[in-house]
Amino acid sequence: MITDSVPLPIEFLPCDSQGTIVEMCGRPCQVQRLEELGIRQGCKVRMVCRGEPCLICIEGRRISLRLGDSADIFVVPTVE
Amino acid sequence: MPTATVSETSTRTVALIGNPNTGKSSLFNALCGLNARVGNYPGVTVEQKVGRLTGSKLSIDVIDLPGTYSLAARSADEAVAVNVLSGELAHQAAPEIAIVILDASNIERNFYLFSQVYELGLPVIAVLNMWDRVEAEGLTVEAEVIAKRLGVPVVCTSANKRKGIDELRRTIEQTLQSPRTKPASAQLARAQFPEAFHQEAQKLSEWLHSNGRKTSLYKVDRLLIDSDGHFQKSLCQSGLHEINTQIEQARERLRVAGCKVPMFETKARYGWIRQLIDGAVTRKETRSASSSDRIDQWLTHRWVGMLIFALIMFVVFQSIWWVAKWPMDGIQWIQGLASGGIEAFLPPGALRSLLVDGVIAGVGGVVLFVPQIAILFFFIAVLEDCGYMARAAFVMDKLMTSVGLSGKSFLPLMSSFACAVPGIMATRTIESRKDRMVTLLIAPLMSCSARIPVYVLMVSAFVPAIKYAGGWISLQGIVLMGMQSIGAIVAIPVAWLLKRFLFPGEPATFLMELHSYKWPSMVVIYQRVWERVVSFVARAGSLIFCTTILIWAACYFPGDHRLLDESVATLEQLQRTQAIAPVSLEQTQIEENQIREKQIEEKLGEVNRLRSELIETSFLGMAGHRIEPIVRPLGWDWKIGVAVIASFPAREVIIATLGTIYSLGTGEDEKSQSLQDQMQQARRPDGRPVFSLATAMSIMVFFALCAQCSATLMTIRRETNSWRWPIFSFVYMTTLAYIGAWLTYQFFESWS
Repeated sequence: MITDSVPLPIEFLPCDSQGTIVEMCGRPCQVQRLEELGIRQGCKVRMVCRGEPCLICIEGRRISLRLGDSADIFVVPTVE
Repeated sequence: MPTATVSETSTRTVALIGNPNTGKSSLFNALCGLNARVGNYPGVTVEQKVGRLTGSKLSIDVIDLPGTYSLAARSADEAVAVNVLSGELAHQAAPEIAIVILDASNIERNFYLFSQVYELGLPVIAVLNMWDRVEAEGLTVEAEVIAKRLGVPVVCTSANKRKGIDELRRTIEQTLQSPRTKPASAQLARAQFPEAFHQEAQKLSEWLHSNGRKTSLYKVDRLLIDSDGHFQKSLCQSGLHEINTQIEQARERLRVAGCKVPMFETKARYGWIRQLIDGAVTRKETRSASSSDRIDQWLTHRWVGMLIFALIMFVVFQSIWWVAKWPMDGIQWIQGLASGGIEAFLPPGALRSLLVDGVIAGVGGVVLFVPQIAILFFFIAVLEDCGYMARAAFVMDKLMTSVGLSGKSFLPLMSSFACAVPGIMATRTIESRKDRMVTLLIAPLMSCSARIPVYVLMVSAFVPAIKYAGGWISLQGIVLMGMQSIGAIVAIPVAWLLKRFLFPGEPATFLMELHSYKWPSMVVIYQRVWERVVSFVARAGSLIFCTTILIWAACYFPGDHRLLDESVATLEQLQRTQAIAPVSLEQTQIEENQIREKQIEEKLGEVNRLRSELIETSFLGMAGHRIEPIVRPLGWDWKIGVAVIASFPAREVIIATLGTIYSLGTGEDEKSQSLQDQMQQARRPDGRPVFSLATAMSIMVFFALCAQCSATLMTIRRETNSWRWPIFSFVYMTTLAYIGAWLTYQFFESWS
């Protein structure tokens, strides 16, 4: 399994494809909230449903996300 | 090392805490059975659930704390959890053990909360629940290794299958009976916080101490980490305004020292968790979509998801219509039996009138609708427990953002369809204050279960029973669904206006976990339905009972009923004689029977005349005629006007009031009929029917939009801590209701 090197915002991850979170930025308390929910740097994430909000799957847990301007999550898509 | 000093016979307390959707409710039920006491924490509106541990020699109370991901104390729920666990809540001692429930299939994230609870200094038991999913998801978890590293008992359970519960019970008893120890500070995740932070925490703790505020170390940490956190606000409110400057300065020093607040906390805690579970938890790499994912692709689809939601709601409301019919007939039959029994034993008079016309026709009329309410709550509980409601919130987020709210507002609004009180209380999960206020103000517009009796009565009496699709879909069911949705439809522009003018701002972010689909637990559903039915019946027995007695008295007095009672007694005597009179072909007997029949007819006319005269001249009749000009534009007569006004404390009262007014006011020959029939036959002085389709629709629209619920208004008062918002809700909803009812009446009048 190799990874593409270009990070992209999580919203651009195609449906049913996987990626690794490489960076999270934005309002500190919002980022903290995300981390408490298990959305952290280094986590593998799969896109279940794209759009606004999107539905992602992290470690078997589905989380719906619409962060607006408060935070950004960047992922590197996994290429098999 | 402090030791437990509580005697064996006194009641001990343990608390249950965990992330949402970790099976906490199932575990609580498994430990305590179905005898939980539900109340509020003193001074705050966070729900407190306490049960007694079953199957134990000791007397142990189990407190079920609200589900939370962290003890960061950003919301009231989280602050209560910290206060309960640290024993800082008034009139409540700290629990002796904190039982932390963790989803065994998602250990890493769940240990985050554990790491915080562990720092509070209480003895802790870690429960790895949903153990059955560990294997199913291709995980291996070595619980013994984790227990050894942590130095606390770790119990594996599958609460939904009642597995591991006995072991947990034994562990609780053993922990209570063994000497209490505190974890070494090096064992805590806090030990991994930067050195600069430890120094600042120490300084702040000393400063608080010197200002007479002895504060636990955990709270000091929270003061430094959570910007604008709950504890900072409460210290400020208690008069210690200087705390803000102290915290700001400390944070600035931390920033200079390179300590990123609040990010260092999650980093340190996850680092601690990684060391704890290193080698003890392994996860198989899974790439394929699970069955939940496949279902989600449809249920969360932009358009298909919305369509499915509308379809589910349609089926729910059609079922309420169909299924409730039989139990309702049964209740009506029992009521008939009770009235007949009382009439046979008691002579005509005030007491008999109070029991038959007040209690049975009034309160009984409300109890009649228990089946519908039970069915609605059943559906809502099923949809919630199987995981669908969270998906509906996801689908609705797009729609909600168009009025400036987020999907988070959807769940409180949906639960307001059952009852606005828990709905308003559920708005506490919305972090954005503006969104919370808008949601809270539009929640009473959602059609709650107390409106169902009004709709069902009006729809069954005045909407034609036309059926479509081979009898599967009925027009009455469609109108019922329309009425259920009207409040939600009106709420859209209301929310938009509120958000635009009173609470302007961007929609809050939407961040919510959707738990995997599961078969709904029958125990949980039974509990929810039972709780709601009991509270509905209790309301009928208290508030509605009292209102009914008042209405009955206002209908009965000041008229002189002697003449009427005499006439009724004579009439009943004649009817009894007629019933046992021999059927004979003899001329004299036939004549005698005919004379008696004529006498009965005359007496009946007299009784009916006396009844309507007495009600017209009663206190209620006089008041009703006064208000008639206000309600006439809506197509109502004085009886409806009075019934509507009487139902402002609780909307179900209208059924009781109409029941009493019609039972007292209608003729003796119609008394055995249902309220529905009596309303259909009611005539105005000019001979036109009182109720037409237009009148019925106007009443229903009024009820759909009006704030007729004192409990809801009191809840708004409590949640907003101000009288301004309940008054605002009352005024805007009543105005909307009057205009809506007027427009509806005009539309249906011109149409018919």
